[in-house]
Amino acid sequence: MNRTINKSYIALILLTVIGVSMSNLPQSISITGLIIMMAVIKFIIVGFQFMELKKANSFWKALLIIYGILIGSIYFILLK
Amino acid sequence: MSIATQKSISNPPGGLLIWIVIYLELLTYGIAFIGLAYYGSVNRADFHNDSLLLNRTIGGINTVLLLSSGFLVAKGVFAFKLKELTKTSRYFSWAMLLGLGFLTLKGFEYYDKIMAGISMDYSSFYIFYWLLTAFHWVHVLVGIVILFFIRRSIIKKQYQANLMDIEAGAAFWHMCDLIWLLLFPILYLIF
Repeated sequence: MNRTINKSYIALILLTVIGVSMSNLPQSISITGLIIMMAVIKFIIVGFQFMELKKANSFWKALLIIYGILIGSIYFILLK
Repeated sequence: MSIATQKSISNPPGGLLIWIVIYLELLTYGIAFIGLAYYGSVNRADFHNDSLLLNRTIGGINTVLLLSSGFLVAKGVFAFKLKELTKTSRYFSWAMLLGLGFLTLKGFEYYDKIMAGISMDYSSFYIFYWLLTAFHWVHVLVGIVILFFIRRSIIKKQYQANLMDIEAGAAFWHMCDLIWLLLFPILYLIF
């Protein structure tokens, strides 16, 4: 459990650094898509690992995943 | 708590009430995120130019501060379950400190923008920027106050401190992370 929290934290920081670095590259659909995808992955990691949603009923897990993917998709569709 | 109880729909970590609050907050922010993305798609060039006035490095550091703080709160909850109260208290203290760091850095950013004449009436982008980030700033402040009271409760009540209260407070804090994780890319990185 403790090790999972540590691994999640490292993944979150790495994704943040990669996301910020990628934003300095010339704008393209793939860059935008990747930045959004990384944001959604981070969103789900925080929910599942830090908020311990992985132990909760599937309803709460599904709601968080659907929300993250929905917002990410809307960002991508409107801003690609 | 048995696994069956934990898996019950009415018993998510921290209790049902905090999760209703979290999803209502996410719903409210979600509507604003969609509004921001929509207006950004209509006025892409203006939003792009306005977004360039934001400092991505400061935004990135703030993200790291919030994530690190959330990490320490998660560690604190874990330590409390192991009855390691001194560790729990220490984790929460550091989490609050990083939260204050976030507020301070954001405060510098706000000061910088105000001094440059970039207020809410500067552009559509900055209406969203000020409303969303200021609302989030207040949430982080409330989160720090909650963490303070949780920590105090742990110090006072020791082992009698209620795990569900601690998890609920932690969930509120993580909610600030969740909101920021979707707010940061659209304001600072994508346009």
